[in-house]
Amino acid sequence: MHAYANPTRFLAIARPLTPWLLGLGLALVLAGAWAGLALVPGDYKQGDTARILYVHVPSAWLGMGGWSALAITGLVQLVWRHPLAGIAARAIAVPGMVFTALCLATGSIWGKPTWGTWWEWDGRMTSMLVLLFLYAGFLALTTGDEGQGRGGSLSRGAAIYALVGAINIPIINRSVVWWNSLHQGPSITLRGSSIDGSLLWPLALTVLGFSLLFGAIVLMRMRRIIADNRVAARLRRLADDEGS
Amino acid sequence: MPGVISGGGQWAYVAAAYALTALLTGAVLWHSWQAMRKAEKRSDALRRDRK
Repeated sequence: MHAYANPTRFLAIARPLTPWLLGLGLALVLAGAWAGLALVPGDYKQGDTARILYVHVPSAWLGMGGWSALAITGLVQLVWRHPLAGIAARAIAVPGMVFTALCLATGSIWGKPTWGTWWEWDGRMTSMLVLLFLYAGFLALTTGDEGQGRGGSLSRGAAIYALVGAINIPIINRSVVWWNSLHQGPSITLRGSSIDGSLLWPLALTVLGFSLLFGAIVLMRMRRIIADNRVAARLRRLADDEGS
Repeated sequence: MPGVISGGGQWAYVAAAYALTALLTGAVLWHSWQAMRKAEKRSDALRRDRK
């Protein structure tokens, strides 16, 4: 892992990887969305609204997965002081927040025709809203402190905040089991899926596609932070040279 | 069940969910791409000036 602590070595991998992730991600998302809208049948109970599944589930996965990655980068920064960990955390926060907001919005749009309400203060929806606020808090903690004097690394407080916020992830996951909810129980578990295979396969395409797009977004944002850090470092050196 | 919508009315909700997802995902992709290009261009220009 420390072999890639060097931003130059990281960029040698990230530069060619970014367009691949973008292209493949877009192709998979488009194929999955087309299949979800046009090829698969509507659900026998929910009808066509069940097609929202193909954008709602990837958003939920990336909102939660994004924070899990944020917590891991926080831990790596605290324990090993890996210089890229803080940069990765900063790069994850915005797309993580966007996909969490998308999960809440698409869930709400799905809820209205299915449950007859846009919103319900139950365990799943409330814990997901807490995740959105956690992302907002992380951005508030790190925006304005770009860490340029520290190579983009996070402050100790932001890294601890990322770790502590991860408590919410298992709560979101288990919320439909622990509390009565309008939201359905877990449909896909390690033991299998309660969704019929004829409806499930486009979900694999959109989950993988959106995950690759998320990866591309994170790489692009990391490259932006590294470039900004380099500019700041050069300007500091120039100022020092002129001062001496 | 009161409030539950069935039939053709469901497609408006499906379209809204997909449109919102496309719009927000496209926006974050576009913003990240533009910001990266701008920052890397500035960094490369500064490196060239130093040589």
